[in-house]
Amino acid sequence: MTDSFEWNRRKFIKSAAILGAAPFVSEGTMAQQSSPTQRDLPGRVPRRPLGRTGLQVSALGLGGYHLGSADTDQAANEIVAKAIDYGVNFFDNAWEYHDGLSEERLGKALKGKRDQAVVMTKVCTHGREKKIAMRMLEESLRRLQTDYLDVWQIHEVIYENDPELIFAQNGSAEALLAAKQQGKVRFIGFTGHKDPEIHLKMLSHEFPFDSIQMPLNCCDATFRSFETQVLPEANRRGIAALGMKSLGGSGELVKFGAVTAEQGLRYAMSLPVATTISGIDSMQVLDQNLRVAVNFQPLAAAEMQSLRDQCKLAAADGHLELFKMTTKYDGKVGREQHHFPTVEQLPL
Amino acid sequence: MSQSSSATIPLRKFGRADAQVSALGFGGHHLGEAPDEKTAVEMVHQAVDGGITFFDNCWEYRRGKTEIWMGAGLKGRRDKVFLMTKTCPHGRDANLALAMLEESLRRLQTDHLDLWQVHGMAFDNDPELFIRPKGAAEALEKAKKDGKVRFVGFTGHHSAKVHLAMLQTGFPFDAVQMPLNAFDANFKSFERQVLPELNKRGIAALGMKPLNGHGEAIKNGVVTAEEALRYAMSLPVTTTITGMDSLEVLHQNLQIAENFKPFSESEMQGLRDRCKPDAADGRYELYKLSLKFDNPEARLAHNFPLDTEQLEVKDMLGAQQNTGHPFPEKQF
Repeated sequence: MTDSFEWNRRKFIKSAAILGAAPFVSEGTMAQQSSPTQRDLPGRVPRRPLGRTGLQVSALGLGGYHLGSADTDQAANEIVAKAIDYGVNFFDNAWEYHDGLSEERLGKALKGKRDQAVVMTKVCTHGREKKIAMRMLEESLRRLQTDYLDVWQIHEVIYENDPELIFAQNGSAEALLAAKQQGKVRFIGFTGHKDPEIHLKMLSHEFPFDSIQMPLNCCDATFRSFETQVLPEANRRGIAALGMKSLGGSGELVKFGAVTAEQGLRYAMSLPVATTISGIDSMQVLDQNLRVAVNFQPLAAAEMQSLRDQCKLAAADGHLELFKMTTKYDGKVGREQHHFPTVEQLPL
Repeated sequence: MSQSSSATIPLRKFGRADAQVSALGFGGHHLGEAPDEKTAVEMVHQAVDGGITFFDNCWEYRRGKTEIWMGAGLKGRRDKVFLMTKTCPHGRDANLALAMLEESLRRLQTDHLDLWQVHGMAFDNDPELFIRPKGAAEALEKAKKDGKVRFVGFTGHHSAKVHLAMLQTGFPFDAVQMPLNAFDANFKSFERQVLPELNKRGIAALGMKPLNGHGEAIKNGVVTAEEALRYAMSLPVTTTITGMDSLEVLHQNLQIAENFKPFSESEMQGLRDRCKPDAADGRYELYKLSLKFDNPEARLAHNFPLDTEQLEVKDMLGAQQNTGHPFPEKQF
């Protein structure tokens, strides 16, 4: 597997310099063209407990952002339908993805199948108060065409002062509790892609989080590591760990030749997580991921270590995990709330 | 011109070394933003006449323009100043660093530097790459031994942790440069984490970005330029390097420096407290959070994508001749 991908960093940098920036390529670029069918891919994506919630979720989760990047509503519909056919039941989303399109598409795609799905979306207060969070919740429910969420998380806890703002009086933490009490959400959590220390600061408030989402991949293992700093803490507390960015966010790990898509996803799914959320914007990417996830067998400890070792050198400066190193993956609403320049003004 | 001959900027001891430099340093990067070479030369002349002795520069600023302009300005005045420039291997080999030194000396029209620093420690593995066999540490040692540089150090604006890891390498640095301002005090702070360590070791501490890089907080009215500069200069540092792109800014800074009185501790704390709400998410210290302030050389060496909107990248892509890019295989 490794041999089929050349280490072509220099070549890439050269073209990146000419084009100005790394082209945004979805993880699907690496997918093969062949499409597995029920016949050649028997079985299902295994289920795992979602922490101590009592829910069972598929070890592969469908990322909401990329659902909004799919070519058409119809394409998004088909992705969701096929994912469900293969046993995927965990669906990720966020209030701010594609200005609501991602939630709307998931809502349509889950029509009549809501009870087969564990639906998660995220609230995007970015430090603002409870009442804004509650307003976003109503909007998310409407777009998702449901009257409850299985999991509601605070989105993008990535700025140093976010924990302080979230736990301030009348902050978003109070909204999570209120929504749970009102029966509008079953379980609550938070997400972030920046810094394990910020995640740990969130946990230090001893708030009853049910889930916690973080980037987990074979570069993270040795670079500002959520895997070594946050994951054990989540496991110890019985909080469901949700992995994301298994290939670096936009397939960087694969594009730069650190691992193959299959290795990257397999690594992330072999960690002690409830699910690995993967961005899927086409049937090709879905098929690629299903080939790993259906009848998933975790890697042995020695195989995990060898992947960490293989990636260590490339991981060391963070160029494959731009979400930790730059502002590239920081959302628009959060930037506005924190008075950061826009993506156009501050691309990285 | 406008400076009286009695103008004095306080001199301070350069760490544990037997040297003194002006408490205000002339930043090299902004010199490249002066309207033309004539103005730049005039600025350097007036700075020297006004009592500034510490001059900062860097091999990779504006593809050599700032070193060339500063060299022109210092012609005949070299012995009055303490000249620093930086080398930009960004993890690459010692021989590359030394080739850059020769180029810097030529551009600056001098046969030696008072201080030569490794530029832009930013990435978590930079300390490891610096100290490895054939790494830049060997270049610093050799240049010092050969008498081409008197003192050596390193710089960076991203991470106090990376600075501390550089100190952990055990290399005998004479100077360390870092961003120091009233916002830094409450956000991923060099002032709290690195500065005391330097003072303890007798390493000359060089402050930079007293106005957050481009004066953003001043434009937004959080602090005045005078408060910001006085805050930085009141810290236990050898000098505070600040960028000047016009005679007007130079005159403003000379005036502040000439009349410099350190803030009291309670005034310092008052300023920290005032800046704290705006400091907490790093909005005024984007150099710690993005690659905006990093030169393309650093990004290339570390395989980060370039930003074509960046002035330095425009310089690089539009350059008629490659003024010293170290890798011939990378043609732009």
